[in-house]
Amino acid sequence: MTDRSTPPAIRLTDSIPFIRPQSHLLDNGLTVCFLEGGSEDIMKIELVFLSGSYHQNDPLVAFATTKLLGAGTVKMSQEQISEMLDYHGASLQLNPQKDIVSVGIHLLGKHLRPLLGLLQEILLQPLFPAEELQTFLKNQQQIHIINQKKVQHLARTIFNELIYGEAHPYGYRVKTEDFEGMERESLLQFHRNWFRPANAFCIVSGHLPANTGKLLESCLGSGSWGASEVASPPVYPLISPGSRKVFLEVPGSLQSAIRIGKQLFNRTHPAYHRLKIANAMLGGYFGSRLMQNIRQDKGFTYGIGSNLVSLLRNGYFFISTQVGTGVRQAATNEIYKELHGLRTRPASHSELDTLRNYLSANFLRSFDGPFAQSERLKERLVFGLDFAHDEAYIKELLSVTPEQLMEVAGNYLHEDGMMEVVVGK
Amino acid sequence: MVSYEKHSLPNGLRILVHRDDTTPMAAVNILYNVGARDEDPERTGFAHLFEHLMFEGSKNIPDYDRRLQHAGGENNAFTTNDITNYYLSLPAQNLEVAFWLESDRMLGLAFSEEKLATQKNVVVEEFRQSFLNQPYGDAGLLLRPLAYEIHPYRWPTIGKDISHIQEATLEEVRQFFHAHYHPGNAILSVSGNVIPEEVFRLAGKWFGELPGRKTPQRKLPAEPLQRKQKRLVVQREVPQHQLIMSFHTCSRLHPDFHATDLLSDVLANGDSSRLIRKLVNHKKYFSEANAYVTGSLDPGQLVISARLHKGVDPVHAEEILWKELALLAGEPLGERELEKVKNKVETTHTFSESNHLAKAMNLAYYELMGEAGLLNLQMEKYARVSPERLQKVAAGIFTEKNASVLHYEKANGIKGKEIIQE
Repeated sequence: MTDRSTPPAIRLTDSIPFIRPQSHLLDNGLTVCFLEGGSEDIMKIELVFLSGSYHQNDPLVAFATTKLLGAGTVKMSQEQISEMLDYHGASLQLNPQKDIVSVGIHLLGKHLRPLLGLLQEILLQPLFPAEELQTFLKNQQQIHIINQKKVQHLARTIFNELIYGEAHPYGYRVKTEDFEGMERESLLQFHRNWFRPANAFCIVSGHLPANTGKLLESCLGSGSWGASEVASPPVYPLISPGSRKVFLEVPGSLQSAIRIGKQLFNRTHPAYHRLKIANAMLGGYFGSRLMQNIRQDKGFTYGIGSNLVSLLRNGYFFISTQVGTGVRQAATNEIYKELHGLRTRPASHSELDTLRNYLSANFLRSFDGPFAQSERLKERLVFGLDFAHDEAYIKELLSVTPEQLMEVAGNYLHEDGMMEVVVGK
Repeated sequence: MVSYEKHSLPNGLRILVHRDDTTPMAAVNILYNVGARDEDPERTGFAHLFEHLMFEGSKNIPDYDRRLQHAGGENNAFTTNDITNYYLSLPAQNLEVAFWLESDRMLGLAFSEEKLATQKNVVVEEFRQSFLNQPYGDAGLLLRPLAYEIHPYRWPTIGKDISHIQEATLEEVRQFFHAHYHPGNAILSVSGNVIPEEVFRLAGKWFGELPGRKTPQRKLPAEPLQRKQKRLVVQREVPQHQLIMSFHTCSRLHPDFHATDLLSDVLANGDSSRLIRKLVNHKKYFSEANAYVTGSLDPGQLVISARLHKGVDPVHAEEILWKELALLAGEPLGERELEKVKNKVETTHTFSESNHLAKAMNLAYYELMGEAGLLNLQMEKYARVSPERLQKVAAGIFTEKNASVLHYEKANGIKGKEIIQE
């Protein structure tokens, strides 16, 4: 019989298969980075503009501008654009966020030429036709109305408002009427102001055809694409809210959504790496204390987790779960117990060892192939960081002590400073 | 093209290996040939509940997840109506840990009343979170028993009712394990930075000594040919009416499957697809529309759903959809439109070939369907679908009597009313 009581020996990964990006600055100010790798004929082009909902004058303008890039251009109708994308087996990933918007396309390398031409067309010459805008807003309004029936969605939006305030773009809660009365002029203006090469970078990753650089330069390096200076973004002061609790009753709920957390800082903060490790121990993976206690031991929920979110101008921490309404209070108590435990109960040797191994492999996974690496590169470029920042995380991971984790939790995740939102019953 | 090597153990376990040197990781997939269709009609949701128990400790290893995390691994599993599939990925040099863990839980589980009770609660919360406490969440629960009368596809994998999960006993868990979790009923596939001979050696070392058991023959009742349209109207507290039409189709293994799959793409895959272009963007009847095939191993369904804008009457919306379907059945698709949906399939397929986990999953699934090599024939099968074939398949599927129609309506002050139209 094979000896099953002793686990096979394991070995930590000691090197990261880092692909050094090749960067070029085009004449019009657009930075392009190439990440070459992979064996299939597939690639991804992603443009990131360093402006998002933070930069808009009215609600939903960044969202609508990004989502409607393909709704019609000077030369092409919405139908022609979608037909051309679909015919070449491609789809656009239009992803408006708070600080940035990203426009991506996954494609087979053999279709690069026509699709790059299309990308140029929709980025440089969008028209945002009034009718397409109205159809889009009406459809999105319906999705918004449905989302208002979801306890999880309500908890998320109320929580953001609570920690940032409704006057700050990070905290603003979209209203049903925001989908009405938007003019295409607002979209044109947002596009004119922020969709500029000097406000953007482009990452091209995957198996790249030989002429990729040239084609890209001829399509996206055009001097006619607004080379002028980019305006400085608006400034919204951050409020520092105290500890507050909100309970929203939704009659008939079978579950309550719980969200507990606070305003914090982003990944450029000196304590970020250590706090990220402490967060993982609390709720960042299946073996975390919250998951083990509240799902695996108590059976209160299908899932629970915690996270650190990095925004460009700030960041926040949150714990999120949905639990049966009957155990809502019990689950909340356990969450606070675990927050308390994070600063008072040191990680055992085995707990920290598992956490270290898991996180270091996860780090390796985040560098697995050109597409994964393009995500890492994007993150570094948005926050103005370099690979040394990633390497510092691994160093911290290998050297951090249980005492240091308790200390960082005590400094930043003290249970007394938390905001709490409960939606349901 | 996914190259692979295959080996079988005397106890019946099949092993497939694909080597991919571009990744530092390895993926391990174990497919068990048991799904919700194999459940007792009084214990629906059991295969999925059992999947949860597979993580609650095995004969020699009390803590599967922690041991895997310790080796840098990440894992998950899913249950469908046909199969239960477990997968993990970890740094390739720690591959043997996966064999240690997976072979031990195939050898035997550490059953306990306490763990069963906890996971019942977890699954009940999953049921609530995914199906009951979501707007439109129960549409899928309503559709299956409407579309199927006899075949066990008539219940969803989460189960017919919460009570079925709550009533499951430890003895039933034991029996289920004995019947379905053994080498001859499983397919193991590995992909990533691995050497096939080494994988086969590890398979022999860790799985070789597991006893082979007889695999029970499946005797599922075939769904009789539907002779009359089935209709259900329900009213719920939702913001918009939703219309769902479901049609009986062939099985995943039938030669017409690829044409059937392409039909759903013609209808609603991409902004230029027919329903999106005409009915969402142009006519503005719907705020969203969707179409998909279930792709099940026994005869499946092609499902079309749409959310209606305010003022659009569900009866009228249904007429409009029928007209679209009649077009597909009435005339052959243009060459360019057909080429378009085939190109979309090609992109999806090529991207999946760059993902070592997807490759491991696919190899195991195609092996279950007959032979892992079938995976590499898929593109050709899609390419061979002609406009005439597509029309013929559409004409066979989109008939009135082949349809199950669910009107999921916005309640008009009346709560939870259900009307079955005869």
